[in-house]
Amino acid sequence: MLEIKNLKASIKGKEILKGINLNVNNGEIHAIMGRNGSGKSTLANIIAGRDSYNVTSGEILYNNRSILNDTPEQRALEGIFMSFQYPVIIPGVNNTYFLKAALNAKRKHQGKAELDAVQFLDLIRKKLQIVGMEEKYLHRAVNDGFSGGEKKRNEILQMITLEPTLSILDETDSGLDIDALKVVAEGVNNYRQNDRAIVIITHYQRILRYLEADHVHVLIDGKIAKSGGEELAATLEEKGYGWLDN
Amino acid sequence: MKFLEKEIKNSPLFGFDKSVNTKSLQMKALKEFNKYGLPNKSWEDWKYSDFSLLNNMSFRFGLRKNISTLPNPFPHIKDSNQIVFFNGHYQKNHSSINNKISIETIDETYKENPELIHKIFSPNTNPFHNINSAMINTGLTIIINDNEIINEPIHIINYASDIDEPTMNHPLFIIKLGSNSEATIIEHYYGSTNIEYWVNAVTKIELQKNSSLNHIRLQEDANESYHIADTEYVLEEDAQLNSFHYASGANLYRQNINVNLNDIGASSSMNGLCLSNAKQKHDHFITVNHLKEKCTSNQLFKYVLSDAALGIFNGRVIVKKDAQKTDAKQSTKNLLLNNKAAAHSNPQLEIYADDVKCSHGSTTGQLDNNAIFYMRSRGIDSKTAHLLLINGFASEVLKIISNKNINKYVNDQLSYWLNNAGIT
Repeated sequence: MLEIKNLKASIKGKEILKGINLNVNNGEIHAIMGRNGSGKSTLANIIAGRDSYNVTSGEILYNNRSILNDTPEQRALEGIFMSFQYPVIIPGVNNTYFLKAALNAKRKHQGKAELDAVQFLDLIRKKLQIVGMEEKYLHRAVNDGFSGGEKKRNEILQMITLEPTLSILDETDSGLDIDALKVVAEGVNNYRQNDRAIVIITHYQRILRYLEADHVHVLIDGKIAKSGGEELAATLEEKGYGWLDN
Repeated sequence: MKFLEKEIKNSPLFGFDKSVNTKSLQMKALKEFNKYGLPNKSWEDWKYSDFSLLNNMSFRFGLRKNISTLPNPFPHIKDSNQIVFFNGHYQKNHSSINNKISIETIDETYKENPELIHKIFSPNTNPFHNINSAMINTGLTIIINDNEIINEPIHIINYASDIDEPTMNHPLFIIKLGSNSEATIIEHYYGSTNIEYWVNAVTKIELQKNSSLNHIRLQEDANESYHIADTEYVLEEDAQLNSFHYASGANLYRQNINVNLNDIGASSSMNGLCLSNAKQKHDHFITVNHLKEKCTSNQLFKYVLSDAALGIFNGRVIVKKDAQKTDAKQSTKNLLLNNKAAAHSNPQLEIYADDVKCSHGSTTGQLDNNAIFYMRSRGIDSKTAHLLLINGFASEVLKIISNKNINKYVNDQLSYWLNNAGIT
């Protein structure tokens, strides 16, 4: 589904990604771990299409097609989703309106009929239950006045509503208490299907106790320094990242 | 401005009575204006709004004619009492008013109650107020009796169109709400013409004890126009004012707003939205006087500035010695859509009492790129994301309009403006 080939990228002249190679197949969960500043979030943002980074070489193929020239909205409509490390507050834009606009943009792209207000509310109420959110959050502005945990749940709510094929969860587990973490993990498990794939970017092994990752990668200084199975995450938990330096 | 002297005799009030009283007051007002002339950049209170260009122009009063059909498009607001002026002339046939509301044209008021107008004609520090007193050619008096609750809004439409030479209007609106009364009044200016015109309005609003007014002022004059307004509110004990000031029209626009919280427990909420593009200048100069204790005032003005537009906000809150327990808030927020657009905000507090709660603040910024990216990453196209964000910024201030038909009208105008603001 996702093929990243020797991807190099810089921001303001500073090279952050120094040649990333990654293959993600249908049905897989990949975890990318690493210290702060190793390039994890940069990788997520480049896949989602943020234009503040300069891709200097390499390629990102999604369903065998290069997406580097696609706008963020094209990528989203084609099924790529990124859960933000820091979900953005959008003052004055109602959460329901936002979610409905996003879902209908996608439905339109897929040639499906757009949902009206009643149909949308029916759908979103079911999704709210999955992530354990109260309906009042629908009536607020997007992420406005949400706690850290509520913002992350709102990200997962968006994911399970938009039903992307490739989800990149950028530190969705950071700052969550154990209950919120379980709910988020449940949301992700609920979303998991054979034709979908998930890339989890995280500092900690914690979330991997609730989600079974097929592959674990360690990113150090803009490169994948080691890849392995779940046991790699356990080793990292025990030993830290130091043993992988050099 | 020689044309004023030439045209003053055509004011319908000029020489209306045999006692020459009004005539002399009008001449006096013109003399008062001529002492200082038009404000220019060297006047501190007018430094961003230079109207000296009016010196080189010439305007006449519009023709006082009755129109058979309303022009199209016409800014109807559903379920309202509609009062129509066309180029300054009252259109009785197109106006329909609930019989519980007492309205008179300014000429009629003059016949019945000349003192009321004479009082307003006294010299004023605002030069345009003096011009209005001298040149008054149109307007209305609305009186809501004690204990009367008027549910349907009173919609006054000042429509400018179908003119073939530069035209001016100097309307005077006098609005009085009796004790315990309630009303919603829309003071609406709308223009559709390519010929230059000048609106110089004065509005005097008095809220007696425990009365409540929603005053919605909509300025949608044509792009080739100049709009100057002086709006004064006087609130007695426990009176409540909710006002909303919308401006998207006119090339040069300046509104002076004065609020006098005259007695205990009066409260005023002043809100504004300016949508400015091209080279428009939209300027609000607001003074709120807290004169007695336990009064509250709240101001929130927002500007959306595109192209090379300029937004100006000057808000002064004065808390007098006797105004203990005052609660005053003031805020202005500017959104710049373009590098050439600019905003000048100057909130000021003058406090002479010691037990008060006052705050003020001003922010100016551009659209948040993170928010745009966030929306786009959910499949919302770039243009829609921009529009949603601007709409979100502006809509905060529209919440004050509780009447759903008026709210819809303003929201529709906002959407129309946004869709034509060249956002891609």
